[in-house]
Order: sequence, then C-alpha cells, then structure tokens
Amino acid sequence: MRWYVARRLLWAIVATFVILSITWALLYVTEQQALTSIQFQAAVSGGDAEAARAAYEQQRGLDRPLWRQYTDYMTNMATFNWGYSTSRGQPVTAAIADALPYTMMYSVPWTILTVALGLSIGLYSATHQYSRFDYAATFVAFFGYAIPNFWFGIVLLVVFGVHLDMVPIVFDPDAPVFSLANARQLVLPVFVLTTGSIASLTRYTRAEALEYVEATFTKTAKAKGVSERRILLLHVLRPAAVPLSTILVADLLGLFIASSYLVEVVFGIPGLGQLSFKAIQNQDTPLVLATTLVGVFIAVIGNLLQDVAYTVLDPRIDYGDR
Amino acid sequence: MGQRHEQRTERQQGTPLLSVRDLTVEFDTDRGPLRAVDGVEFDVEQGETVCLVGESGSGKTVTAETITKLIRMPPGRVVRGVAELDGRDLLSLSERELRRVRGNRIAHVFQDPQHALNHCFTVGWQIREAIQVHEDVSDAAARERTLTLLDQVGIPDATTRYDDYPHEFSGGMKQRIVVAMALAANPDLLIADEPTTALDVTIQAQVLDLLEAVQAEYDMSILLITHDLGVVAELADRVVVLYAGKVMERGSVYEVFDAPAHPYTQVLFDCLPGRGRPLRSIGGRLPDLHDPPPGCRFAARCDYARDECHTGDQPPLYDVEETQTQTASCVYHGPSGDPAVLRDGHSAGESDG
Repeated sequence: MRWYVARRLLWAIVATFVILSITWALLYVTEQQALTSIQFQAAVSGGDAEAARAAYEQQRGLDRPLWRQYTDYMTNMATFNWGYSTSRGQPVTAAIADALPYTMMYSVPWTILTVALGLSIGLYSATHQYSRFDYAATFVAFFGYAIPNFWFGIVLLVVFGVHLDMVPIVFDPDAPVFSLANARQLVLPVFVLTTGSIASLTRYTRAEALEYVEATFTKTAKAKGVSERRILLLHVLRPAAVPLSTILVADLLGLFIASSYLVEVVFGIPGLGQLSFKAIQNQDTPLVLATTLVGVFIAVIGNLLQDVAYTVLDPRIDYGDR
Repeated sequence: MGQRHEQRTERQQGTPLLSVRDLTVEFDTDRGPLRAVDGVEFDVEQGETVCLVGESGSGKTVTAETITKLIRMPPGRVVRGVAELDGRDLLSLSERELRRVRGNRIAHVFQDPQHALNHCFTVGWQIREAIQVHEDVSDAAARERTLTLLDQVGIPDATTRYDDYPHEFSGGMKQRIVVAMALAANPDLLIADEPTTALDVTIQAQVLDLLEAVQAEYDMSILLITHDLGVVAELADRVVVLYAGKVMERGSVYEVFDAPAHPYTQVLFDCLPGRGRPLRSIGGRLPDLHDPPPGCRFAARCDYARDECHTGDQPPLYDVEETQTQTASCVYHGPSGDPAVLRDGHSAGESDG
C-alpha cells in the first residue's frame, strides 16, 4: 500500500506539472494576441509598430528564448513568485493570503456542519426508513438541492437582514474572527451553503447505510449483544465510509469552488471567490491565474486524498504487488 | 458467569432451558399482515439438540430469530406467545435487557458465512468484541481468549490469523470463525440457522462435527434449523416439524425417523433418496400465509385429507400411540381417527434407509 500511495503522490505532482504547462501555453497565446493589438494600435496612431512590439516584449520578458520563458515561469510558480496584481497593487500571493482567511471563516464551519448533519440525518433516515422523519429529511434535502444558492442567499438577506434586521446586510471585514458580530454575519452564508451541500450527502449516506443496515453482518453484531448505536457507528458506518469518503471529497470540492464565487459576491465577503471575480472584471491576468490555480491545486490534493482514503478504508483492496 | 451458573442450579428439575409457547409472529406487507409463525410450541432442554425442520417459507428462521428479537420490528410483530429462558419471558424484556441475553446466553450462527462477518474489521477484532460486550476484560485478556477460541474451532496458526480480514478466509473457515464468535461469551443455547447450507458437502460434515464437539465441551443446547434430514439424523435429539408456520409433528429423533406420524413428515421422508421407495416430490405449494385456508395447513396437499381436515382450526398436537414423546397435529391421531390408515405403506421396518 505504501508503494501505491507513493505512486499516487508522484502522479499528483505530474498532474500539477501538466496543468501548469497548459496554463503557461494559454498565457503565451493571450500575450501574443495582446501584442498584435498593441502593434495595431501603434500603427493606427502613426507610431512605429516594431518599436511598440520591442518595448512590450522587453517589459513582459517575451524577448527571451521560448524554453527560457517556460523555465522561468515554472521556477516562479514553484517558488511562489506568482506575479504582481496591477488592480490591487500588491503581489498576487499577498492578495491570496489576505483573502484566504475570509473564505476559511465560512467554509470550515460549513464543511463540519455538512459532514456532521449529512451523516447523522442519513443514518437516522436509513434506520427509520419511510418514517415521518425520513420523508421530512428527503423533502429538506431535495429543497436545498433544488434551490439556487445565490437566489436563496438574496432572499434570506432580504428577510433576515432588511425586514427583520437580525443580521447585518453589509459584511464587515474588520470584525474579530471569534466574535458575536462575525458569527452573525456568517450565519446566513453558512446556512445557505449547508442546505445546498447537505442534500447529496444525506441521500448517499442513507443509500449506503441501508445496504449495510440490512446486511447479515449487522444481524451478527446484534446477535452478539452489541448496542444499536455501536452497530450504527461502527458496523454500518465503517463499511459505508468507503464510498462516502470519495463522494464527500468530490462533492465538497466541487461545491467549494463553485459556491464560493456566488456566496461571496452575494454576501460581500472579501474571500477567494470575490478576489477572483474582481480580478476577472479588472482583467488582472496574474491574479486570475493565481486564484484559478488555487482551485486546481485543491482539486488535485482532494483527488489524492480520495484515492488514499480508499486504500486505508477498504481492507479488501490490495495494492501489495502493484 | 458465576451468576449464570447459580441460575442454572436454581432452575427446578424439569423446567426446560428454553420454552417457546404459542409463538405467533406477523409481518406487515403491502397485501396486509402475513402470519409467518402461528402458535409454535417446543422446548429445548439443557444440553440437547433440537432440530426445527421444514421446507423454505415454513417459518423456521422467523421462529428462531424471534426468540431474541433479531427480526426487524416493524414490519415484524409478535402477536402473542412467550419464549422463556429459565422461566423468564424474553419477548417482554426491554432492548437493554435483551442485549445481555444475546450472545451471552443465546448465541446465533447464520446460514451464509460469506456475509456474516463485517469485511472492514479483522476476525480477531470481531470475536474480541463479542467477548468484551459482555465481560469487562482487558484487550490483552480478550485477545488470549480469542486465540483459544480460534484454536478450538480449528483455525490453524491462530496467532498470525488473528489480524486477518474475513476475505482472507475460505467459506468453511469463515463459518468456523462465526462459531468461535458465538462461543465467545460461553452461551447456554446456540441457535444455528442452516449453518451448513451454504457450504460444500465435505465442509458441511466438518462444521457439523465441530458443532457436536463444542456442544459437548461447552455443555450447551443447540437449536438447529435445517431442511436437511441427513443433518437431523446426525445431530438431533428431538425434532420439531414446521409447515406454513404451524407445528405438524414433534418427537424424539428415533420416534420420528422410525415412524413419521404426520402425513407431511411422511412425504418429507419420501423426498429423501435411498429409502427403498421411489423418490417423489410433494405436489402443490405452501398455502397463502396472508389468508390461510381453514382446517389443517397441509390438507390441500395431503393424500389422506378428509372433509373435516378442511374445516375449523389446525388440529391440536395429539399424542401418537405407542410412543413416549411423539405428537402430531393430525386428525388421524385424534379421538375419531385411526392412525393405522397413515401407517399403511409406512411400516416401521421399511423406513430404514
């Protein structure tokens, strides 16, 4: 298994390398296009197109040989020298470091809530199949899944922020992290995200657990005198955790990347999503690149964890000789 | 454990270890209640082996799994009846009290060893759990006892196999591990539900031998559920024949094998090859348990059925003449019947295979 994990880790590095190379190629193409338009502009305004090209190329380092540009780019990436954000007037890494805590503030409680609630509601639904609770949970799950996050966020803001005045409408980035004021302004985004993500986890947990609630080995455990709770938490949840862990990682990552944009823009949270959103609006290429790469790296690491989770959780999968 | 032995000595002479009375179990289905077990009665004495015999769907498994309430409730429901262990009714116990009985005093072995063990835990862990659920012993002590158990049930090289997962064992080995797990808390009664059905023939004999050996060693009673009359002949002291949720016949294994009293038992034996009679199958099928016909459950398939067999209730279990313990739920053994009619073509001598 150690060899498998090592190989998987190596593959993650290769994948990262490939992704970075492709982004470099894309960047190169966009810069060539920008160059063409600059030459055109210079010619139209009566200047020397060749001189404009040389000035631009020197400024951007495009006069270096191609392989040199590539290796410099890769070295910069590896050393976290990710360029300078013109719209924010600070290095890209600094901009990300500023935004990351705000994203963490809602995504950490959101992830914990999703896992805790999704698993427990799913398990309870499985053991009380077709009960009133099961039907209610199914309804809530599909409601949260069907309703668009950004719309639900706006509605909640209008109701609880404007009409009931229970939460602030404008996000205050200076509120201390662990304060009541911060908790109040984070309640709605966390709630909206949780209702959206809890649905699939609840349904998957219910389906997976149902398979094992009815299994013979669960009956064996009951016949041994094991308590219902221990059966559920060990004998049912443990085998169910194998498929669930993969669903969980893929699901949460996808939601994390997609939802953070919408929720941060709606609630005005200055996190990674908003940083990326504004960078696109301001055509701040290094910042767009960096915020996109953060998402890509999270996905690569998530996939790695997912594969490793399989080997750790299911003893029947043998990687000994592969 | 000490307490349990006290209970054993307290038990009056003549009180059976397990006494099932008028056990009636229904399942709620889309077509209404289905009565899977209807008024089943039998006893299991200390140290003896009782076999529940019957074809598929006759209520054997439901009977066995209702004793410690392993059936899922709902949809299952105990309509009436008691299952007394040392005179204490298990069916009225709370879930908490039942947990102290399960595994500890009554252990189970199920039909399919492939799925009876959890694939995510080592066999050592699973046997250790069975010990530690009932006894407050250290991990090291429980491990020692687990190794002894594995050794006893014939797992070679127990120390190294302790940390192996179920998928690393063969089917026969898995069933041995399930037996070891059942023995973990030193039970008084082992309920084995078709323990050999899923195994191939050579392994079947080994597992049956194992059950006999551990029964002697642990001084347990065994309630064995099977449709295999060969297994019954090998292990049973007494036999209970079930059909469509009703007891058709009860008696010692010698009495029943020597001269099956109920027409159903008789045709059941006719289904066995090598008994000197042409092999036959039983025509028709089990009655609909949602709405069973009046009279004897077997009447529709019985060669000897008379008009009275199709009316009223299932006949009571009449004592069979010239026997010690044999009873049969058939009008021919009642006051108005003549058992000689049934004996026709089923004389004692001929039934020897």
